Amino acid sequence: MSNEESWFGRFVDTLPTKGWFKFLSKYVVTPYWLWKDPKPKLPGGPRVSSQPSDNVQRMMNLIMPLKDPSEIGKARAVMAIAQNVDEIFGGLDNVGTVHFARFVILGDKLCMISVYDGDFSNYIRDFIVTVGSVFDAIMAEIEGGSALIPTEQNVEAFIEWVHEHDLFQAPDFPTELFTLQDQAKGIGPDGPVHDLSTLPRNLVLQFHSNPDISLGGGYRAYPGFSAAQIREKLGVGW
Amino acid sequence: MSAEFDPNAIQGNIVRGYGIHHVRYLMLEVTDRKAAREFLVASLNGENPNVPIIQRETEWEENPEVCFNISLTFPGLQALGVSKKNLATFPIEFRDGMASRALKIGDFGDSAPTKWAPPFDEPDRIHLIASIYSDSEEHLDKVQTQVAEAFNILGTRDGRDLAKSKVVFGYVDSISQPKFKGIHDKSQNKNDELLDPLGTILLGYPTRMEGVYFGIPSPSELGFNGSFNAFRVLSQDASGFENFLTEAAEFLLKHPNLKDVLPPGGARQVGKGFSRKTALREIVAAQIVGRWRNGVPYELSPDTMEPDPKVSLTNFDYNRNSRCPVGAHMRRCNPRGGPIVQRVANLTRRIVRRGMSYGPDFDPKNPDDRERGLLGNFLGANLGAQFEAVMYDWLNLGLQHPDITGSNDPLLGANSVDTSWFDMTTRTGGKIRLHGLPRFVVCRGGAYTFLPSIAAINYLSQLKN
Amino acid sequence: MTTNSDKAVAKEMVDIMHRPDGDPKLRPIHTNGIGVTGFFKASETAAEYSNSEPFQGNKIPVTIRFSNASGNKTRHDGWSDIRGMATRFHLNGPQDFDLIAMTLQEFFTPDVPSTLEFLKAARPTPYHSATPLQKIRDYLSLKVPKRNRYPHEDLSPDDGGKKYANKHKFAQLPIFQTASIGAPVSYARAAYHAVHTFIITAPNGKRNWVRFTWQPVAGVRPRPIGPDNKPDDDYLNQEIRDRLSDRETARFTLMMSLGEQEDEVNNCTKPWPLHRTRIVMGMLTLNHVLDAKAQESKIEKMSYNPCLLPEGIEPSDDPILHIRRTAYEISSKERHANRCPFAGGQ
Repeated sequence: MSNEESWFGRFVDTLPTKGWFKFLSKYVVTPYWLWKDPKPKLPGGPRVSSQPSDNVQRMMNLIMPLKDPSEIGKARAVMAIAQNVDEIFGGLDNVGTVHFARFVILGDKLCMISVYDGDFSNYIRDFIVTVGSVFDAIMAEIEGGSALIPTEQNVEAFIEWVHEHDLFQAPDFPTELFTLQDQAKGIGPDGPVHDLSTLPRNLVLQFHSNPDISLGGGYRAYPGFSAAQIREKLGVGW
Repeated sequence: MSAEFDPNAIQGNIVRGYGIHHVRYLMLEVTDRKAAREFLVASLNGENPNVPIIQRETEWEENPEVCFNISLTFPGLQALGVSKKNLATFPIEFRDGMASRALKIGDFGDSAPTKWAPPFDEPDRIHLIASIYSDSEEHLDKVQTQVAEAFNILGTRDGRDLAKSKVVFGYVDSISQPKFKGIHDKSQNKNDELLDPLGTILLGYPTRMEGVYFGIPSPSELGFNGSFNAFRVLSQDASGFENFLTEAAEFLLKHPNLKDVLPPGGARQVGKGFSRKTALREIVAAQIVGRWRNGVPYELSPDTMEPDPKVSLTNFDYNRNSRCPVGAHMRRCNPRGGPIVQRVANLTRRIVRRGMSYGPDFDPKNPDDRERGLLGNFLGANLGAQFEAVMYDWLNLGLQHPDITGSNDPLLGANSVDTSWFDMTTRTGGKIRLHGLPRFVVCRGGAYTFLPSIAAINYLSQLKN
Repeated sequence: MTTNSDKAVAKEMVDIMHRPDGDPKLRPIHTNGIGVTGFFKASETAAEYSNSEPFQGNKIPVTIRFSNASGNKTRHDGWSDIRGMATRFHLNGPQDFDLIAMTLQEFFTPDVPSTLEFLKAARPTPYHSATPLQKIRDYLSLKVPKRNRYPHEDLSPDDGGKKYANKHKFAQLPIFQTASIGAPVSYARAAYHAVHTFIITAPNGKRNWVRFTWQPVAGVRPRPIGPDNKPDDDYLNQEIRDRLSDRETARFTLMMSLGEQEDEVNNCTKPWPLHRTRIVMGMLTLNHVLDAKAQESKIEKMSYNPCLLPEGIEPSDDPILHIRRTAYEISSKERHANRCPFAGGQ
């Protein structure tokens, strides 16, 4: 009789669905591996690339912890943004590199999700220039945000803060996770080859340092074109 | 935050150029912290005849025989003992260093840091880059010997101005630089461009971006009045460029719309004694850069390099009907007030360039492939907002205009023959696309450096740990 | 030009690929397949990118062979396996166009020596199931245990490949993806990638480096394996017959990605980033399944070749693409198939 057909074999196959085994995995197995093989936090946002289509329609998932996550605190965040609609459009129309942007309140976080063209620092900096007051209003509602107000006079620090709170974008090709984790530890592409079977564990452990992540860099219907190129093509000016 | 500008408080060659025609750069490693600090003390007070004096930004009547200045990399600040807490207040680009930012600024392929020439292949060892400007070889050697007493010299690079202010590619250069409010720069008397606020180049002053101040690293003694520099050794393929001009001219000669670029009998109008092919080569060269090789701006004189009456070399702007291509090198790096996608960024990404050529002269009649190029300094108060912003979004990628997005700068860009393109403009408002531009400029090394104020040099010299 | 040493290597490859449970008279891999015919019509945009005959908008008859990648002569449709889709565009010009695609996004190895090495390493081995203790050890290591053996699965196709991938980074992505590739509910409900880079020329002379993918209009749909882990062995052929009966059709969109500077054009182990510009090049409509006789005489004797390209579509310098040309020729000869499109040609 083969292994999987034995009573014990069938029992082992069902282990992952058993409550006590899940408990064991969560409270013993995972902590053990976190101790043994800790993963540094992976940086957020799209990765730097030399190639044109990697540099347009880039995704930002800025996740900001609310200073006051109560109902009242959330309402204050809503007000801060609602009062700045003119400012936001002013920025959108004059920075020219943003495809879409939206705000979402999710649990105790305020999220700003956008699709932009070009360099991340330029994008944030150009927005500080045009709508610095909006960022100030938002940061006033965010945990640790006060130190960055006024953003116009903390340009570099604010850009770094945003970068830190932009979600890590898991690679579109799963095995690239090895490369990124190596990179975070200062190991180059010529480093040792990982055991492929450890890929699931490496993902599990990464969640400890990056509890929220973006699944890949997103899917695009018309990749490769900037907002201005699309506007030009549609005949709506840029 | 804003302050009165005091020319004695900063090093020379930052807000104005020296006008000296030879330079030697010394790439230095701090191997003896104490000796390095003593050197800095002496370089400020001038009490030791065997230590060169830091040249300040003070107007002089006669050129000094030698001008000595220093700049520091991030590892250099570490090596001199700046505290961790203060180091962390420097901007991320500078902390990372040029080699780590390679992909952002187009340094991949042949320009990748792994292929850089020594000593740039060991970026962490380069702590200071000192510059000696002098028109006498003797002085260059003398100062170098003096510096060697306190630092380990990892390498040197000599540069010189080529005859008639030309650069390796045969263009007249140094025509205009940003000039700053409150600074009198004789060399820029004929420059009609808008004045730039001092915060473009120095930390602690208002910038062109309304309300925005770049962060001053701590303590303010160290950061205030400082500036940043992207020092780059850029090899320039002069014979490759000349070949490309010939290829492009031959392509245009066969092009059905040739008459829109060069009407029949128009060659002589382009330049005295030009054949059709020569005229086309020069038109391509002029459109690639945005200036004819004699410096005349293409925008003001699209049909001839010898306009009569003469035109201003600096007073022009771009518009939607410009004859200067949107993709031209000069327009990409400095779109002036012309239409760009990031309207808010008009005039904000200005870079001060101080460069000299290296390597042998190039004779287009007897072309050779020996290495030659530019020792470039790209200065600004914020590397991310100026140098990198221009390199990443404008020079490469071409995000500032939908018609060039996805292409790289025709002269400086990280091009490859298979994918590159450049749109020429025609007299009738049309375009002709050139393909197959190779990479003419390859980075051979470089570093991001901090140009400390006089007070900052003093601060560094007094560190005790 | 095919050199003698290419021939020797290709011959060795073909030899290695033959499995003990295969059939020397059949294809060494992608042994079980089915022939389908239909037509392709290029999109309006296609001609802007390519001056080649398939992309000028005419209705082009096609012959397609769908297949399971395994070299086992016995069909096991429900087993986890790569599927193939070989398409011949019957053109008016002197040369037809074969587009050979598979459900894996990339190939296992980047060059000829590594391919030979990989084929040797990945030879099927007797099936060894994971013991319950091994599985527990895997759970405790936060690994996913080896899947259970299918009934009658005597040879393991993956073990050698997995070992190889633990030594070679380039093989990790394809091996990882193969391990979870599963089975589609239909040959018409999987996406197929041509993997290699081709060079096309636009009417204005502009050359583009491109990769092709067939996207099923009906959508991609994998087949769940039941709790008893006993997949059906034979359903794909009947499914496509049923699907195309009563004048019904199945459609695929041909998508083309444009390569950019620095993209891996000669390395088919590296899929391009997902955000390369994608062009809709045309629509394939399948409307007829070949009957058993035609299947035997036409499809099984047909010699596809990934280097059979019409004017205006050139192969890249991908060494795998070029060795495949020779390997397909050899395999075609060995199983006495119809004249290989290249035979005697050069």
